[in-house]
Amino acid sequence: MEGETTGARVWITGTGLVSALGHDVDTTWSRLLRGDRGLRALTLFDGSGQRATRVGGVEEIAAPDTGERWSRTSAFAWHAAREAMTEASLDLARMRVGLVVAGTTGGMFETESLLARLHADPDHIDSLVEMISQPLTATGDRLQRALGPFVRVRTLCSACSSGANALVVGAQWLLSGEIDAVVAGGSDGLCRLTLSGFNALAATDPDACRPFDVARKGLNLGEGAGFVVLERDTRARARGARPIAELAGWAIGAEAHHITNPEPSGAAAADVITRCLSHARLSAREVDYVNAHGTGTPLNDPMETAALHRALGVDVDRVAVSSSKGQLGHTLGAAGAIEAVLSALTVRHQAVPPTMGLTEPDPACRLVHVMHEGRAARVRATLSSSFGFGGLDTVLLLAEPGLGPPQRTRDARRRVVVTGAATLTPAGLDSGDTAARFADGSSWPTSRSGLVDLDLAPHLDTARARRLDRPARLGAVVASRALDQADDGAAAIPRAEVGIILGTAFGSLDTSAAFMHRLFEKGPRFASPADFPNLVPSSPVGHVSIYLGLRRVALATADLATSGESAVAQAMELVVGGEAEVIVAGAVEEASDLVERILVSLDPTSSRGGRVRSEGAATLVLEAEPHARARGKTPLACVASAHVWAGPGSRPVIEGPTDKARARVVSTGDCAEVAAALAGTGWEHAPATSLSPSVGAHEGVGATALVAAVAIVRSGVTREVLVVGVTEGRGYTFTLTASDP
Amino acid sequence: MDLSPLKAEIKELIVHELNLEGRDPATIDDDAQLFGAARDGAPPSLGLDSLDALQLAMSLEEKFGVRVPEGQEARSIFASVAALARFVAEHKKA
Repeated sequence: MEGETTGARVWITGTGLVSALGHDVDTTWSRLLRGDRGLRALTLFDGSGQRATRVGGVEEIAAPDTGERWSRTSAFAWHAAREAMTEASLDLARMRVGLVVAGTTGGMFETESLLARLHADPDHIDSLVEMISQPLTATGDRLQRALGPFVRVRTLCSACSSGANALVVGAQWLLSGEIDAVVAGGSDGLCRLTLSGFNALAATDPDACRPFDVARKGLNLGEGAGFVVLERDTRARARGARPIAELAGWAIGAEAHHITNPEPSGAAAADVITRCLSHARLSAREVDYVNAHGTGTPLNDPMETAALHRALGVDVDRVAVSSSKGQLGHTLGAAGAIEAVLSALTVRHQAVPPTMGLTEPDPACRLVHVMHEGRAARVRATLSSSFGFGGLDTVLLLAEPGLGPPQRTRDARRRVVVTGAATLTPAGLDSGDTAARFADGSSWPTSRSGLVDLDLAPHLDTARARRLDRPARLGAVVASRALDQADDGAAAIPRAEVGIILGTAFGSLDTSAAFMHRLFEKGPRFASPADFPNLVPSSPVGHVSIYLGLRRVALATADLATSGESAVAQAMELVVGGEAEVIVAGAVEEASDLVERILVSLDPTSSRGGRVRSEGAATLVLEAEPHARARGKTPLACVASAHVWAGPGSRPVIEGPTDKARARVVSTGDCAEVAAALAGTGWEHAPATSLSPSVGAHEGVGATALVAAVAIVRSGVTREVLVVGVTEGRGYTFTLTASDP
Repeated sequence: MDLSPLKAEIKELIVHELNLEGRDPATIDDDAQLFGAARDGAPPSLGLDSLDALQLAMSLEEKFGVRVPEGQEARSIFASVAALARFVAEHKKA
């Protein structure tokens, strides 16, 4: 393979857990093996009128005393991340350490109380302002201050596979050579929204759940956090750290089937398991145990059984399988990380935990079940499966260190090109050509409302798109347009080989508020099952994946005002790392009355009679250069660099420009912040323009800036454009250059 | 008892609650199968799925105060608009 180097292994050198069975790894693990169940009656909030209220709740746990408000989700994360970092004896002063935080609900439990107050008093300004104090990124921000400094921080969501994806992103950071160690994991706290939602979907068991059992009725929700410290073996060895297990393989895939239901044949999930094994260059023969997703829902368990039969072949009759959800509940965004920790522990302790609640296996779930209690077992390698809403699947392989060959690592200089670009702004849908107007300094005609008033119907197959809410529709239109452009004049890209990453700052805040209002007004029986899956931050990703048939890596990232930049940076890392050849990356933000009111209440002078925040969407098709070349595609531009920096005190590391006289800088934010970030670099004196006045302000607008940069490069005005996104003293830079003929 | 007004209301509800954009409720056949694929010769199925069934059950309860049972029993109730109308008419009274 082009640009390949060899030799690296990804070791887990620290683990941390907070769960319904305990506040640390040892307590959780020993109780798990004993068969203890942490599923109890709900006490965190009033569950009256709910179909099922048995949950795997975490017993009271203190947040660190930092003088700021900590959500329960963030507090769990702090405990688990600190435990993992302590076990690994990380020295942050001497190592470049990154942080990846995964989740789905973030501070929703705390936000719900505010929504309740707002429900009673719509003008309660303090509640409005407090609401944005707990976005999905709050956990990463709090951990950065309480446990950092981390040199790179990423927040991601892929529904119930989020936690597993945190480890994949962390592993890619290590293999890039830019980061020495990564603290990676997931955290999710219980809240009314998820409990009501899963109850509305009739996916819950009123009694303790029974994964793989013939009488299973559904899942029990849980809460908690799981974190690991990942390090390259060479670096860990040099400082005397020892491995708990090796993260030997991983694979991310999307089923592109249905927003809540798994693809029933198991073929899609089996494909991800198979790719995980082939990534590790190991076979089913080396696998001794599977920590299953095993939710206990009627649909998941037979699908997962079928997938294991397909992927493991004859070895399915030998490999022990269990689900930890009968003891911990389903911890959603934390589950993949918690179960990755448990899987690492099976290798470390040579023991496998049971499936509790399973007494009579369903004939449709014929597997080598571990029942009643854990047992000692020879465990060379463990597969850990996580399947999320939207069909977002991730499978990890945790193995004895050295079991398989080392990772194939790609050269960090593997070139990535842009082969398609599209943006939807209040000025309309644009595939790059209209954006070029910006290059000569003329501004785009922006509608005063700041809203996208384009009729989306002609751009969508509305029958197939009926489940897509507005963010998903905006995303589908720009992703579809960008991919069509990528196909233009060359061999088409099979959609199944494409990944999708979209940024979002707050998720669907207004829809969540509407969902909660219904709940407060009419009771849990009238929570909308169809609306619930649209409240997960990764919902637009899932919908677009299904709508367009995109079946590679699919996840959402969040980073406040630079959410678009975070998604494109994430996609760059994964294309460079070989996780996919093609990823559609960008951001979607819909107009939000709540966010609007919050922003105006923070700065009453900001609105001046119009909207403060607009809406829009933009995506780029990022493609590995050899892949584009092989199908005869002339790229629109090259991504010569993509950098991420995290405060405090750190700065972007960027080269160039090669031609100072013609170089341009495009940003979306505050010009003074951008100038401060570029001070002392070669870009310091390049003409800089902020796009926001012309295309509107929202958290995903950085993706539009990138599309505009592609257009500027194509227009020939300059061969080099730097796109800068800064928020809260951290940020992203991308250098887009003309594609060489 | 004339179930026509009720059937029309249910068709409106289906189109609205399940976002069947552009579909004229009046074009839904009373006896068309709602879920899965239609039998040969039968009117075309609406091709709804289990998530639609949950949403429909919730909105029927909200609008008419009838609680649709879960599981096997629900299958015959959800067979068609006509079957739904019969179920609603019968249970609304109770």
